[in-house]
Amino acid sequence: MEDGGLFPQVLFQLGPVTITSTVLTTWAIMIVLGVAAWLVSHRLRELPGQIQAAAEGIVVTIEDAIRAVAPQHVSLLLPFIGTLWIFLVVANLSGLLPGIHSPTRDLSATAALAILVFLSVHWFGIRSQGLRSYLRHYLTPSPILLPFHIISEITRTVALAVRLFGNIMSLEVAALLVLLVAGFLAPIPILMLHIIEALVQAYIFGMLALIYVAGGLQSQQLREQRHEERDE
Amino acid sequence: MELSWSTFLLELFNFLILVWILKHFLYRPVREVIARRQQAINERLADAKTAQKKAEEIQQQYTSRLEEWRREQQKARDIMEQELQAERQHKMKALHEHLEAERQRVESLQRQQQQEEQKKLQRRALEQGSSFAARILTLAAGDEVEQRLGEILQRALADIPKDQAEKIRTQLAGADTEPEIASAYPLDEQQRAAISDALSGVLQRPVTGHFVEDPELLAGYRITLGAWELAANLRDELRGFAHVAGEPAGADGER
Repeated sequence: MEDGGLFPQVLFQLGPVTITSTVLTTWAIMIVLGVAAWLVSHRLRELPGQIQAAAEGIVVTIEDAIRAVAPQHVSLLLPFIGTLWIFLVVANLSGLLPGIHSPTRDLSATAALAILVFLSVHWFGIRSQGLRSYLRHYLTPSPILLPFHIISEITRTVALAVRLFGNIMSLEVAALLVLLVAGFLAPIPILMLHIIEALVQAYIFGMLALIYVAGGLQSQQLREQRHEERDE
Repeated sequence: MELSWSTFLLELFNFLILVWILKHFLYRPVREVIARRQQAINERLADAKTAQKKAEEIQQQYTSRLEEWRREQQKARDIMEQELQAERQHKMKALHEHLEAERQRVESLQRQQQQEEQKKLQRRALEQGSSFAARILTLAAGDEVEQRLGEILQRALADIPKDQAEKIRTQLAGADTEPEIASAYPLDEQQRAAISDALSGVLQRPVTGHFVEDPELLAGYRITLGAWELAANLRDELRGFAHVAGEPAGADGER
């Protein structure tokens, strides 16, 4: 804890696999979310209680957000995008708990999420359009734009990972510095800012992921639309 | 700030596992319960729409039935008003007829009462006139009146129509009865001869006559021949007034 726990710590080794605090916190979050989901799903009633109403509100809100961007793929995108939002909100806010650091202050975790977004864009795109049809959109409107498409894919993925990592890491560093300089209760406003920033960053990451995935899903539709406009 | 590949891969798998967990334990059950609720709501809405449609149909039926009732009510009211109007006219006609009959009856009664009253007045006038005349004639009775009545008698006998004279003669045929000639005052021979001559002219035979005095006559004569009687005296004239006036004769003569 020479760095005050600012960076992920290696807790133990399982052969070649290194278990860090990030992974351990992620497992804890997974367990909490899984148990909560199980409890909610086993107490579902036609007339919802407060907890069920909250769960339904979360799911319906995510559905509405997805429907606003990709109205024809709500059911397909809900698990991935919904899990991104829920996990990121909980992971970002987990840094508020004493002794726990947010997993998203680890570049490895944000990079893993960004890679997952990158892969899911192509996965959903190929799944809905087929490999050739999906890859063809990299050559439109001109094959000359292929390098730019590839650079765009890489940079936006890197941007996703670094943006989230940078914001959460900076929040925790700022809180730690204020705590070291000003004393025990001084970081409270920073913690309030942490809440807002955690929610905003989770929303931004999830919304960008949704837009990227929806772009991959609807690229064929965009091409067909362009062809129709050209024919007219 | 190094990138740990171990952490990277574990986070990657962790997230995929979390996606699976939430998909099976959150999204699917929650979406199913929302879908069931939405389906129940849709069914209730459908039921409500069906019930509303039925209610509207029932309302339409009730409205049309109510309208029909109102029309029937109006029709019945019109019929009743017509019947009432006819009954009123019938009653008014009967009332007018009754009133007209009553009016006629009252008018008849009034007319009868007027006639009665007029008769009473007339009788009273005649009574007064008779009384007055009887008093005047009683006071005026005398020789001059007697002589004047004698002249009237003679002229009356001379003016008897031939058929009446013939009838008198037919009635007295076969009877030699002399007429009785009553006078209020004693007659001299000349007067008796004049009366006899006049009677002889009527009876177509010589008549001497049986002359008697009767002061009850006040003035004048009374000739009695069988059933035939010729009066030219004040008493009989006053009796005639009294008869018309409804009084027994002689009441004023007594006075």
